[in-house]
Amino acid sequence: MDVGISRRRFLKGSAALTVLGGGTIGLTPLLGNEEEHHEAAAIMTKTSTKEAKLVPTLCEMCVNKCAAIARVEDGVVVKLDPNPLFPKSKNMLCPRGNAGIQALYDTDRLKRPMIRTGEKGKGEFKEVSWEEAYDAILNGTDKFPGMAKILDEEEDNRSSFLFCAGEGMAEHTFKMFYEAFGSANWLNHASICLQTVASAYGVTMGAYPQVDFENAEYVIMAGANRAEAIVTPDTMDIFKRTKGRGTKLVCVDPRFTNTAAKADKWLGIKPGTDLAFVLALTYVTLDEELYNKEYVATHFNDFELYREHILSKGYTPKWAAKITGLKESDIYEIAREFMAHAPRAIYYPGRRSTFAKNDFQLRRAMAIFQALGGGIDTKGGLVFGGKLALGEHKGVVPMYYQARERAVNKNKQNDGYDHCVVVSGGGSWIAWRNRFLENKMPYKVRGAFIYKHNPMQNMPNTEKTAQMLKKMELVVAIDTMPSDTVMYADVVLPECTYLERTDPVFSFGGVEPAIAQRNKVIEPMYDTKPLNEILYGLTKKISKPLFEITKKHDMFLQDEITASESELDENSTMTLAELSKQKEETMYADEFDLTKVFEHSQEEVNEHMVASKHGEEAVKKLKEHGIFYPNMDTYYKQLGENEFQYYPEKEKSYSVNGGAPKTPTKKIECNLANLASKGVDPMPTWRDEYNFKVPSGKFKLLTGRHAQFTQTGTSNNTALHDLMHTNYIWINEKVAKEQGIAFGDKVEVSSASGKTIIRAYPTQKIAPDTVFFIHGFGEESERLTMAYKNGGCDNAVIEDNIEPVYGAAAMHETNVEIRKV
Amino acid sequence: MANYVMVLDYKNCINCKACEIACKEENGILLGADKHRIWVGSNNPKGEWPNLDIVSASFLPSQCQQCENAPCEDVCPTHATYYDENGVVQVDSDKCILCSYCMVACPYDARYVDDRTTTVDKCTFCSDTRLARGEVTTACQNTCPTKVRTFGDIDDPDSEVSELLRTREHFSLKSNLGTKPKLFYLT
Repeated sequence: MDVGISRRRFLKGSAALTVLGGGTIGLTPLLGNEEEHHEAAAIMTKTSTKEAKLVPTLCEMCVNKCAAIARVEDGVVVKLDPNPLFPKSKNMLCPRGNAGIQALYDTDRLKRPMIRTGEKGKGEFKEVSWEEAYDAILNGTDKFPGMAKILDEEEDNRSSFLFCAGEGMAEHTFKMFYEAFGSANWLNHASICLQTVASAYGVTMGAYPQVDFENAEYVIMAGANRAEAIVTPDTMDIFKRTKGRGTKLVCVDPRFTNTAAKADKWLGIKPGTDLAFVLALTYVTLDEELYNKEYVATHFNDFELYREHILSKGYTPKWAAKITGLKESDIYEIAREFMAHAPRAIYYPGRRSTFAKNDFQLRRAMAIFQALGGGIDTKGGLVFGGKLALGEHKGVVPMYYQARERAVNKNKQNDGYDHCVVVSGGGSWIAWRNRFLENKMPYKVRGAFIYKHNPMQNMPNTEKTAQMLKKMELVVAIDTMPSDTVMYADVVLPECTYLERTDPVFSFGGVEPAIAQRNKVIEPMYDTKPLNEILYGLTKKISKPLFEITKKHDMFLQDEITASESELDENSTMTLAELSKQKEETMYADEFDLTKVFEHSQEEVNEHMVASKHGEEAVKKLKEHGIFYPNMDTYYKQLGENEFQYYPEKEKSYSVNGGAPKTPTKKIECNLANLASKGVDPMPTWRDEYNFKVPSGKFKLLTGRHAQFTQTGTSNNTALHDLMHTNYIWINEKVAKEQGIAFGDKVEVSSASGKTIIRAYPTQKIAPDTVFFIHGFGEESERLTMAYKNGGCDNAVIEDNIEPVYGAAAMHETNVEIRKV
Repeated sequence: MANYVMVLDYKNCINCKACEIACKEENGILLGADKHRIWVGSNNPKGEWPNLDIVSASFLPSQCQQCENAPCEDVCPTHATYYDENGVVQVDSDKCILCSYCMVACPYDARYVDDRTTTVDKCTFCSDTRLARGEVTTACQNTCPTKVRTFGDIDDPDSEVSELLRTREHFSLKSNLGTKPKLFYLT
């Protein structure tokens, strides 16, 4: 957003007054809407020359986990600097990474455990002790039932509780709780995230690959915006080499993004038609025999079938030009240039949620097109990379005979839901939610544990998510911020922020693999705790009582722990009852004691996981430097102010599979015959219903990311608000003029799902039939000073369209109306 | 004693504004859109959808140009603005009377008012924070994802900045004004 203002012009107005007013700390409104402006206290502490503690940590402001070094002066974190040792983030921190301090010192943070006192969703809570909160979870209050009551009434069907988690390093810790608890209902962020791209690349080439931008000569970046949706190291690697400096970057996007500005060529494609573009690129490649014949002969299954399919269907550039709105000549040129540079050419797989319902087919077509050039598992192409091993941390997985299976339909056609053919490990969030609301569950689900996850803002159709959370009788939320979702909780457990905890150590695969650890920078503030400790406290409270419920309802368990006469030997001094008691205690200790999963601190668990594979020296390195990989001491070199060597060239993992795909057959799978029986196209095929259509008077709504905000996790960050105070809706300049909409005007955006109010940004950077605004604004939680009702909420408007293969949420399938208000 | 300059490979800039926050966090700059030592200027693409001109869309990171012949130093009636031993333009807040002549004189719009110290403040190349601690980079240079900036001593012929200016074409902003900026933009 370019909201420029001259300081001199500014001085004439309010700045001079500010000087006279003295000490007015806060944001200066640029749009003159003071009445809506929320001021928040912010800590901008100048760093000093005094002695400071430097702690290596990993950022958690988005998913990338870049390495940072926290500077602590007198116990206060005053600065976050990049940690140069990490090959993934290569000595950089983005704006959000720099603003992490404001997440730590956000006065709106959840500070103490809370239990609900008012109507659900109203955000009325009282602060309680941890013991009281744990007790409320187990035994309930006059406002909500406890876990014991629910499980007893459901006869120990552990699946009567849903567990859902957002992305994060401790997601695994939470999943261990889910596994120990014994539910079959797990929903994570996959179906609003990478589900279709990861799965489609998985079934086609055996893995969701990384890219080697440092050595690529030609890159097609379609539906990905690396200049704004930052991914490390991709963002850093590509933009140093565009504009005639080594890589030709072709950006294909229905918006003119910052990536378009940094590209060598930009094509404004019609939303949802990328599949036609790739099919036409493939057509040219096959028709003109531009493909890598040796690679295809060695590494393809069903190539001839695919070739015949593409050519006979007539997927010519002329055909695609009509569908995509692109020029026929551009498509020819890109196909020829790509194949001329292959294998050092990349059709960027991207890292984003599902936009159109055809996304699975699009990703398959992209993977096959990439493979036609041979750029797989090779320098300058797609890479699988190496990965360093870590030891295991064992969980507890008791056998609950009364727990029901995951609620999916199983028959010949389908092992998914009615809406989709496959349900993967992470589940289909909105399909699950809708089934729950429509009473299609085969058993009652009455409670939910939600960790670091904000479905009220994340899931298309906010109204339905609100209904779901209201219908859940017991909702336990673990979070750092009083998000919209937390407002629907019955019990709130406050987690400390990432700068106050050590998280599970993690191995980052890639061309230059490394292990990295998030180390605790300062002790947790207020009455907050890391997840591991929260779950230790909770399981200490609930483990025994839940075992009693299992014992009551589980006949098999009763049999196993009831001693029989034959077990008493002649010399035994025990009675039958005593022996039964002993058997029960042994059974509990061996299999049902949930506290065992969390009894060791995260630091202890990490030490074990690292030392068992790489020795004590690696443990020390991770504590002192945050990063470890073998031979780091000799390999790592600072080559210049901005340049680092992590691995010598010959030690880099460009190729780990001899150039072959990682599928079980070691071949690219062009034709997935098993999918045909489930009603899914076995080869990428264009269908008429994929055509871009917008009824007159409406607009296709696009959503996306931004360099200064990450989804809703950063919505209350004062330093980021300093860069961009709110989100704006992009409307084509001509259309805006026709409708009398000027910059900063409020407009109402509405669809069948709902509506939201947002300010307008008329621009030439978007087509007349399309509108766009970034995700992560318009929160409804009054406890978020900066974020409350600030800007528009996309998911209030996005309709719950379900992608038909994996049940992912299709984010760009909604038509909206806009009107000035 | 050094002669500090900054070389900006500005084509790398993606307008993420990491430098702006890093500067504020390092130097304790107040929040507010009118309170910044450094910024990224942006130009929207010219043309009409879909015929937009990529070349016209650009991002230009900027800050105080640390002019060798600084107009702000020239006009300051109290000599609050001065050159330190490293050639960096500094402000003595005890002497500043907030007359704002420097703000008017600066052709780069690089001066702003710090409400706490009631000083017309500016970029100092992190002199009293990072450089004072013996570090050799500024906050903006160090944090940049695409590594736009290189910072160093132009009097040292072996420095990276000297090497860059010897081997790469570059320009400075408003060079016609004779301010002799010490920020150099690589082409």
